[in-house]
Amino acid sequence: MSKVIDFLKNEWNSYPRNIQISLYVLFALVALFVIFAIQILFWGLGYTDMNNRFAMGIWIIGDLGFVALGGGAFFTGFMLYIFRVDKLQPLINSTVLIGFMCYLFTFILLVFDIGQPLRAWFGYAYPNWGPHTMPQSMLTEVVWCLTFYFIVLCIELFPIILSNKYLDRYPAVHYFAHYLHKLMWIFAAIGTFLSFFHQGSLGGGMWGVLYAKPYWFRHHYFYLAIVAAIAGGPCLMMLAPKIASWVAKKELVPKDAYMTLAQIAGVTFIAYFLFRVYDLYTLAKHFAPLFDRNLVDMMGGYYGWWVVGLELLASLVAIVILNVKKFRENEQYFIAGLISGVLAIVMLKVDVLLHGFSIPNFPWQDFFGYNPTIQEWFIFLGSLACMTLIYMWFVKYIPLFPEKHHEEAH
Amino acid sequence: MKLERKDFLTMIGGAVVGTGVGTLISPGPWMGLQWLVEWTQDQYRPPKGEEKYLASICDQCPNKCTVQVRMIGDRAVKIETSNQGCAAGQLLLQVLYHPERVKTPLKRTGKKGKIDFEPVSWENAIADISKKINDAINNKKQDQIVAINPAFPDATAMLNERIALFAGSPHVYQESGYWALSSACSLATQKTEGAIDYDFENADCVVSFGARLFEGWGNPGRMHNVLNIWKQKGVKFIQVDSIATRTASLADQWVAIKPGSEPIFAMGVAHYLLKYGRRSGATNFGRFTELLINKFTPEKVSELTGASLETIESVAKALLQARRPVAVAGKGGKVVSSSVAEFAIIQTINSMIGSLGNAVKLVTFATPAKPVIAKKSRGLDEYIASDMTCDIVLLNNANPVYSSVYGERLSEKLKKASTVVLFTSLLNDSAQYADYIFPTLTSLEIPFTGQAESAKFEAKHAGDSLLAIAKNIPNIAAQFPWNSYLDVVKAVNFQAKNVANLDIPVDIITAKLEELEKMLQASGSYSISMVPFEIPVVGEGNSLALPYVLKALPNTILKGDTSWVWMNPVTASKEGISEGSKIDIESSRGELDTVRVHLTKRVAYDTVAMPIGFGHEELTEYGSEKGVNPKPIMSDALDPLSGYADWWLTRVKLS
Amino acid sequence: MAKMTRRWGMVIDLDKCTGCGACNIACAQENNLPIFKDDSDVPKRVTFLDLIEVTNDKDPKAQYPDVKVAYIPKMCQQCSGNDPNNPHPPCVSVCPVVATDVGEDGVVSQIWSRCIGCRYCQVACPYEARVFHWWKPRYEGSFKESLNPDVSIASRGTMVKCTFCSHIWKRERDKAIAQGITDINAVTYTPACASACPTNAILFGDLNDPSSPVYEPKIQKDPRAVRLVHSIDELRTKDPSEYEKRTKIKEYPNPKVYYLTSQQWLRDKISGFKNS
Repeated sequence: MSKVIDFLKNEWNSYPRNIQISLYVLFALVALFVIFAIQILFWGLGYTDMNNRFAMGIWIIGDLGFVALGGGAFFTGFMLYIFRVDKLQPLINSTVLIGFMCYLFTFILLVFDIGQPLRAWFGYAYPNWGPHTMPQSMLTEVVWCLTFYFIVLCIELFPIILSNKYLDRYPAVHYFAHYLHKLMWIFAAIGTFLSFFHQGSLGGGMWGVLYAKPYWFRHHYFYLAIVAAIAGGPCLMMLAPKIASWVAKKELVPKDAYMTLAQIAGVTFIAYFLFRVYDLYTLAKHFAPLFDRNLVDMMGGYYGWWVVGLELLASLVAIVILNVKKFRENEQYFIAGLISGVLAIVMLKVDVLLHGFSIPNFPWQDFFGYNPTIQEWFIFLGSLACMTLIYMWFVKYIPLFPEKHHEEAH
Repeated sequence: MKLERKDFLTMIGGAVVGTGVGTLISPGPWMGLQWLVEWTQDQYRPPKGEEKYLASICDQCPNKCTVQVRMIGDRAVKIETSNQGCAAGQLLLQVLYHPERVKTPLKRTGKKGKIDFEPVSWENAIADISKKINDAINNKKQDQIVAINPAFPDATAMLNERIALFAGSPHVYQESGYWALSSACSLATQKTEGAIDYDFENADCVVSFGARLFEGWGNPGRMHNVLNIWKQKGVKFIQVDSIATRTASLADQWVAIKPGSEPIFAMGVAHYLLKYGRRSGATNFGRFTELLINKFTPEKVSELTGASLETIESVAKALLQARRPVAVAGKGGKVVSSSVAEFAIIQTINSMIGSLGNAVKLVTFATPAKPVIAKKSRGLDEYIASDMTCDIVLLNNANPVYSSVYGERLSEKLKKASTVVLFTSLLNDSAQYADYIFPTLTSLEIPFTGQAESAKFEAKHAGDSLLAIAKNIPNIAAQFPWNSYLDVVKAVNFQAKNVANLDIPVDIITAKLEELEKMLQASGSYSISMVPFEIPVVGEGNSLALPYVLKALPNTILKGDTSWVWMNPVTASKEGISEGSKIDIESSRGELDTVRVHLTKRVAYDTVAMPIGFGHEELTEYGSEKGVNPKPIMSDALDPLSGYADWWLTRVKLS
Repeated sequence: MAKMTRRWGMVIDLDKCTGCGACNIACAQENNLPIFKDDSDVPKRVTFLDLIEVTNDKDPKAQYPDVKVAYIPKMCQQCSGNDPNNPHPPCVSVCPVVATDVGEDGVVSQIWSRCIGCRYCQVACPYEARVFHWWKPRYEGSFKESLNPDVSIASRGTMVKCTFCSHIWKRERDKAIAQGITDINAVTYTPACASACPTNAILFGDLNDPSSPVYEPKIQKDPRAVRLVHSIDELRTKDPSEYEKRTKIKEYPNPKVYYLTSQQWLRDKISGFKNS
């Protein structure tokens, strides 16, 4: 026992001071997460600021954001394994891990968000398939697709965990991991297929089918969400190792890999931006008038114009930086571009939810406000802290960046 | 077959894996989860039982609507009001099954001012109270006995009054309200004691001077029926009010006037009636016309009320053109505040348009013969304001500590009294100063027309308790020949009378109008007018103890335990107040707890509309300490003829 | 058993509504709504029937005293979508666990014990008619005595809603069957709010039945009729081709509750955002 304590002590003391401070903060957030999680699970959602008018809050914004950004995993995998863009190889492990965590915490936040967590399995036991082959409820599709893709991510993550240097010593483990790795293109293909569906349904379709809600109902919303995930996801997939490199004070991923993915993301961001402008245009000219409503009136309130404005601005910044070679290759600009890319997609989700719920349903109402309670904030921030801790742990103990390990081996 | 260790282990392993997999794919885990779900829900299942419907009545107002009670086994689960009555009937079950219902007689154990009681037996409680009253009679201290009844008379009130009168006490009062005020007017002007009653059902034009007819006024059940009749027949309805109430919006015409200026507006209407040749045979009508011509010209009225000349004229014309017009007095909803002078002005209008004595009647509460004892105070407020002391107080289903603007003074009086007896089903503000509390029964528990529910505890109706107390007092027992409360109910009734004579109290009217004129023109620090308004489900406030009422309250009235008052945005910006601001309201009498402001153009300028019925110190877990009760800072000027304070208009300042 | 031909609907005459609250309380009593000490948190409050106070005092042009106030008793509007014969309410198809469905009589039901509390249906509902049990429903002490055994008590974290008191219909049907009447179309009933309304402002009946006071073709011709946030109704007569075009592009809620009012300002407010 004392050996373990000594080991932990030495380990802790080996960390630099700033890492120790960050760990304190992260552990504190996780502790608060646990405390408030118990409160929410045992005493209910009354402690949130959600209500009958503002039915979904920060957790669902988190879910949508996680899934859209985690979508970078399927897209990078797709590029690497199907289109054989081998330059992306150094990024893939980190990408799979981020994707895995995004989906894991999407599930965790969903469990908090539903009123009856113990009935969560009803989604599998009594799915709303409806009369046709496609599920009738977008949420049914989301639940099933998310589950299957999460399983795929688990399988994709498995060989990465097995490549830990202690585990890798066993030949059986080594070969199993090796062959699983060889088959990865199959899972990448399945993952891409599944991901296309639920990116579309959770990010857009779920809202696009609400035919009685003027700010959400749009036929093309499903596809917009897919493009958003393809554009924004890779930004997070590059941002995470960039930050890890910054913390580790050494480059973990070759620049080549970044630049390749950045170019792809840059081009998709152009597509996304055009699509989003088209989206807003049709909302104003076609969909809002179907409800006898006016986009300008709907855009008022607490989260109206500035959210959309910030989103479009961030997209533009991302487009410029990621597509212009000079900017892209400048370290600071590059990071700013990645942050803008992530921000653009997060603001899209904030716009869908925060502003979507804020819009009055009746002419005599004002715009609704929503102030998440500390329970909501800390369960959300605690999730982010957990994700960060897991990522840090992987960076340290698992060859998340094989190139780096190879170099070290040489 | 030789079983090796390895095979054995394989078999065990296989069995474990097989069982595991088998369990997983069986319904077992799901059933287990389902069980866990149900176990963690701890759901209450209402017991089933045989369904039957029983007839009963709702006795929440004199309308006495018949209701059907849906019974499941011995539980009443629903009141069917069959499209009549009002929300009160629907609320009966919340009273019947209120967890804090008084179930036995209670006797005070601690100091007054707190809810500190212990149960006592019926016999001891009744014997003690009877003995105290008997001693007071024997010691010639009859004037220390006070009986206080609720705003509308009923058989129980008659018993309470009878005990006091036969004991020789001059102190029988009822809570302020339409009945007390309009009776005071008819007693002073028509020499008949009875409330003014309007023939709404057959009228073809109704002008209401501040009476919010469809928001709890009078008998709400009857008024709802009246609304239907008016909509069918197209009766012309004009509402005079300073707030855009629902009644004002239901009216064909809403005459917006300055708060509290209703009597002056009525003078303006009377002036035009006079101009168009209408006269009245009332005593003092000559002096009244002088007052109209000399002091209340339409221009003057227009200036004081804020209504245009055309508007005043149009109201007069509407009355003139009608075949059976009615002018309605009694400002307010379930709670009415007015003055005899105001009633008298409007009765004069009724006399000028020929409605007095036919479309406008009097309703008297006929009771068995009783001694006539000269009252020492005309009304409850005058009594409380006086220096007279009391020793035995019988509070029948009343809550004057809350409802009277002199509530605090009354509580001081009650603290000094030796025997304060409160008959109530739920503890209220006045219970804080009671020595004895007697339970009472809801109308569902009494076999008026059929007994829906026998009380689930040993209980008596307040009427039966009062009867038992009376029969226990040797000096007066003979005056109570009834066996039970149900016999008493048969001994009383309401009688309509057509009384056309009218003696206009011109001096009282002149004095009242001068006082009002001064108030309306008051400048200086108290520059804002405060007027009350009600939420129909809350009414005078007792129903705030019934939690389903809370589901019908908007956020612009009560949020948490904070009251919201209403102001016009124009006035608010002048005062530097915005939506949701916290303000303190101060009148010459004192300051109110902090309230918040809701801005709405429904309220007249320079006015604060104050919700009443809130701010109970004690009214069960559900109604206590919710919002503020403005009565302690409202006007306490006593009306000389009724003996009640006219608190409708209060001048206040905001900070 | 014959096929259900009834299509229950309501007509609410706002000119007769005084805002007395009888419908609200009758509904709460009939449907076992929870009892809380503080129910002033309106957006979290559990009520099936909201008595909404509506005024035109926020209109820029409104000035005292040209303001009015009215009450709108708002319950689930039992939407049917464009085709009433093949109803598609906005909330039903979105439920991931089939906890809500639309019956042959057009009433949208909710199975409280099936609901997982995801609130997607609440998001889909344009009328804020669905309410969620944010807190565990409470019934202090003897208040439990007055609970209706026909309506099961919902758990914390589930969605509940007005079902036009369809349990009363089931009650009446069972009574009819006990009397040997097997034709389900012979069964009629009145929900708690409609039977409580003291001015008869809430009328309930079969929208398909020409003898009913709520016969839909007749109500649609009534110049006082207006449906909640449903301004497309105006196009039906004014611009039928535009109406046709729009209904081809998307579904409209097509609620089964009609409001009647002679007040133009109120009609504008109720009909939606077009005129207000």
